[in-house]
Amino acid sequence: MSRLSIALKTWLIPVRYGLERWSYTLQRVSGVAIILFFVMHIAETGNVVGGPTVWTIPPYEYARQVWNETKEFLANPIFDIGLVLLAFMIFFHTFNGIRLTLVHFGVLLEKPKRPEYPYHPGSMSKAQRALFWLSIVLATAAIIYSLDVFFKVLQI
Amino acid sequence: MQEVRFRVFRYDPDKDGRRSYQTYTVPTFKGMTVLQGLLHIKEKIDPTLSIRFSCRMATCGSCGMMINGLPRLACYTLIEELKTRTITVEPLRNFPIIKDLVTDFEEFFTKHRWVKPYLIRLDTYEQEKSNVSYRQSDEELEHYIQFAYCIKCGLCYAACPVTATDKEFLGPQALAQAYRYYADSRDEGGVDRLRPLAEGSRLLRCHFAGSCSKVCPKGVDPALAIQLLRREVLLRT
Repeated sequence: MSRLSIALKTWLIPVRYGLERWSYTLQRVSGVAIILFFVMHIAETGNVVGGPTVWTIPPYEYARQVWNETKEFLANPIFDIGLVLLAFMIFFHTFNGIRLTLVHFGVLLEKPKRPEYPYHPGSMSKAQRALFWLSIVLATAAIIYSLDVFFKVLQI
Repeated sequence: MQEVRFRVFRYDPDKDGRRSYQTYTVPTFKGMTVLQGLLHIKEKIDPTLSIRFSCRMATCGSCGMMINGLPRLACYTLIEELKTRTITVEPLRNFPIIKDLVTDFEEFFTKHRWVKPYLIRLDTYEQEKSNVSYRQSDEELEHYIQFAYCIKCGLCYAACPVTATDKEFLGPQALAQAYRYYADSRDEGGVDRLRPLAEGSRLLRCHFAGSCSKVCPKGVDPALAIQLLRREVLLRT
């Protein structure tokens, strides 16, 4: 099996390994998605000022035309759904990132103890798991808000 | 007597080198383990099947394999607890396969040796020819005893998604042992143990997927050891 297929398999199939593996998968997938969005976002908005020739300021009329064409192209429910999902990913990635930073410093974890059956790993503490669920809740709230922004679902 | 189907991974580099699955039907009894099922296959049905085992009581760590997609010890897994009529048995992931269910632990033990899994004393004479005993309180023992239960079965190494794609990463077993000796009050390795770990992705590549602790059959919790080790590396190097 190639390195790429192994990577995709271990990233994208978190089943059977518990909550922390789901967190790992979501964090990686959301990270990649956010980077891809940034690249596309810069490329798309860069078109308004002439794309790669950005340093030679284009005529006003040209910029206005491209801006209007870009807005027209993006006025599409598919892109809106993409932004709704992106809202989830940004919120999840941010708050789960804070959780991971704390965990990497040993905060939120239990102290080492003698293993006694049935084993309960101190790394799977309630505190760090609570922060994972908090990330999910905040990201879900972001989805609901952005759904309302784009589709006027709730009329908030 | 009930029966269960074993779907076993087969690979023989000295034959055709093809990777395939072979299915066997095995009669079961109450309390039967997956290892007993495999031994039934080897003794009664197909003697060409290769497996590695020794103690049959979750102490030697020899019979680690993927059982229904999860790394487990075959001797420690009851057939009835799997709750399936078909049991898929494969070699441990992240290890090169030697034959059938037998995997090569060379890289695994190389990484284990790399973290110096022994007490380091500054006095070189004492290091080589020590005949003194070291006092240690119960409290000091609690700092590392959990990680000293490791039987080097490789289940954590097979479960780790980072080990799967980054060979420089030392893996949960070796890193847990690095912390086990670092946290030992008798050890004088100190920061010298930490500095090599701070380089590249040897330690810092861990993303806390927690899968290692999930599958550990001895409750060692390598994920906890790695985070505690990382804290020391980040704060002291």
